[in-house]
Amino acid sequence: MFSRAGRNSAGIAVLLAVVCILPFIVRPYQLDFLIFMFINIILVVSYRLIAITGEFSLSHAVIMGVGGYASALLTLHLPISAWISMPLGGVAAALIAYILSFPLFRMKGFYFLIGSFAAAEAIRLCWVQFINPFGGYRGLRQIPVLEIDLGDFLYIDLGAPVPYYFFALIVGLIFLVIMYRIEHSRFGFVFHAVHHKDMLAQSVGVNARRYRTIAFVTGGFFAGIAGAMVAHYITAINPGLFGLKQMLFILVWVLVGGLGSFAGPILGVVVLSIIDESIRGLNELRPAFYGLILIITMLFLPDGLVSLPDKVMQGVNWLRKREDGDAPNRE
Amino acid sequence: MKSNMTRRNFLAGTGGVAAGITALGATPSKVFAGENTVKIGFLAALTGDAAGWGLPGLYGVEIWAEQVNAAGGIEMGGDKYRVEIISYDDEFDAIKATVGAKKLIFEDEVSIVLMLGITPVQAVKDFMTRNKMIVTTLVPTDISADAPYLFALSEVHPFYNVTAVDWIGRNMPNIKTAAIATQNDELGLSSQATYRAAFEVAGIEVIEENLFGFEVTDFAPVVSKLIAANPDVITWDTAYPDYVNLLTEQAYLQGYKGTIVNCTLDQYEHILGKTSKDFMEGFLWQFPDLDDPIMQGGDTHFDNAAAFYKTYSERYPGAWTAVSWEYAASLEMWKTAVGKAGTFDPPTVSDALRGLSPVPHAFGDAEWWGESFFGINSAALGKWPVVQMQNGKAVIVEMGDVRAWMDKHGDVLIKHFKALGVPTSA
Repeated sequence: MFSRAGRNSAGIAVLLAVVCILPFIVRPYQLDFLIFMFINIILVVSYRLIAITGEFSLSHAVIMGVGGYASALLTLHLPISAWISMPLGGVAAALIAYILSFPLFRMKGFYFLIGSFAAAEAIRLCWVQFINPFGGYRGLRQIPVLEIDLGDFLYIDLGAPVPYYFFALIVGLIFLVIMYRIEHSRFGFVFHAVHHKDMLAQSVGVNARRYRTIAFVTGGFFAGIAGAMVAHYITAINPGLFGLKQMLFILVWVLVGGLGSFAGPILGVVVLSIIDESIRGLNELRPAFYGLILIITMLFLPDGLVSLPDKVMQGVNWLRKREDGDAPNRE
Repeated sequence: MKSNMTRRNFLAGTGGVAAGITALGATPSKVFAGENTVKIGFLAALTGDAAGWGLPGLYGVEIWAEQVNAAGGIEMGGDKYRVEIISYDDEFDAIKATVGAKKLIFEDEVSIVLMLGITPVQAVKDFMTRNKMIVTTLVPTDISADAPYLFALSEVHPFYNVTAVDWIGRNMPNIKTAAIATQNDELGLSSQATYRAAFEVAGIEVIEENLFGFEVTDFAPVVSKLIAANPDVITWDTAYPDYVNLLTEQAYLQGYKGTIVNCTLDQYEHILGKTSKDFMEGFLWQFPDLDDPIMQGGDTHFDNAAAFYKTYSERYPGAWTAVSWEYAASLEMWKTAVGKAGTFDPPTVSDALRGLSPVPHAFGDAEWWGESFFGINSAALGKWPVVQMQNGKAVIVEMGDVRAWMDKHGDVLIKHFKALGVPTSA
């Protein structure tokens, strides 16, 4: 028999093999769907990094946009490669997150939530109002794509779906590993501590505000990179891409997937994105159907989709016991 | 009475319904086995805030396809081709539009893509150009010299808004002052620039303007501020359909007695119900009902306009909007070009479209226009109706000549476009 760790490693290896084969068997538009799914995975996991400190921010989508706008503007107006501008976009997003942290972390709970929304709207309205340089509602167009240009030796246009798929996959995996390591480092344990045992942590000398700021800025950096990845793939961005709708999707993915575990938000993005796309043919009925799925999930899986295997196992065990005649009646 | 519904039964039932609906959605709505078929892509918002300018258009396109198929289909090279509409809900979102564009072009292999405009069009513009795909937009400010396959075939928003103001200037000489309110976005701003220019040309002074954000949900203060300036005419510019309803209702509730002129008045039966027939009498806007006598033959180019309107109204009661016919009207023009080109190949049809002179626009003969504003003649500009509410019904009072107005006063419009930062290559 294999150990649990062995089974997990084997599962990850099979999953990796599948995602490496996928771009060669799926259709072009499905490839785009997968690319945006990878980017959204980075987004939700970075959001969870903030949420585990106990604060729900409504500014994450706009912070993502800061990264997208910064990277796009750098490549449009300066002779800078997208390879350089993308991390700089992440730095810009982290910087804005850091600046926002000063007023925002003077608040807690509901006030923090509303404060983060107001701050995000202020930034988004700047993109709308200042046509130069942000392009107003129309946004920015003809944003350069990523290229690997080694002259005659090698040239890869990463704007094409297959190369970008692998780029998004690799970046996504690296970021997931980094964020996983952060959560399981001393920092990560303190993040959890300031959420669940705020007063206790402070009583032993932990500066809760400082750690919340670190999580907010770190999450902002990864979100900013995700925004830059969107910008340099679709080559056109506008304020609408990073608005409240996107923010609500982030919340839904995280909460439906399950905030309690690292895999929860990832599962939320994957499952809900696939459901949303597969019912697109329903046209105007789609939001109602999608809403129904969300309600059912929240009703029966309050810990998120990630708790589904445990629920199934509980059900199986209960059935086995009932067959044996020693299970209590559940109805 | 005790319910027999257990959690398991509920889940099983819901799952069954869900599976059924999903299967229904996955099943192609039309299958033409063994027949020649031409596919048409519809890439616009079918859900969300902008659905009001997408979904009614899809209904219209489907009715148009039924009518064309009932008549045997589109003739090309001696063969008849049935029309199949393939829609993709872009949710008025750049990312969804990008994904949808690839699906329609690479997977469905459509011959033309119908779009609403602005954000989604800007997102896919370069991709569509690279793939030489004909795209239609309802917003001519989308067109640009670097997108030769992008056309504004049926709608020349916001330029046609000048015709109603021009009509006011000639027929209502007592109107001397105007006030404008609309949402602060590209549609609102370009339309605001147009109304400013039209009022200036008509000798009407704009005394109050209010650009509100999308966060506004209470329109009472917006309307109060406008009415306080005591304007002779108010316009909601190109406000979104829901905003037009709420703003008009507020004007009614606050006792406004002057004239209202607007770009659209979608589902006006609903607004009539919220206000009164007396209040709405004389309301001016730009989009007719296609059963209007002026739309039946004559100089117009929309086959079976009355039958189209009748079918639409019966199938979707109270759902008639500005865009109900527009996407279909674009297809009428595309069909003419296909006939000339003898092929569905998009670049060849694009050339044939550009070769049409006059352009057979739904409201009459038009010409290609746009170079002075956008660097390329890709918008069909000609006549546009001035519609007035008369006894609870939309009536065309005049076919205004947008082209003539633009030739004469285009410089005034460019001035206001620049003042409001609306993109133009002029």
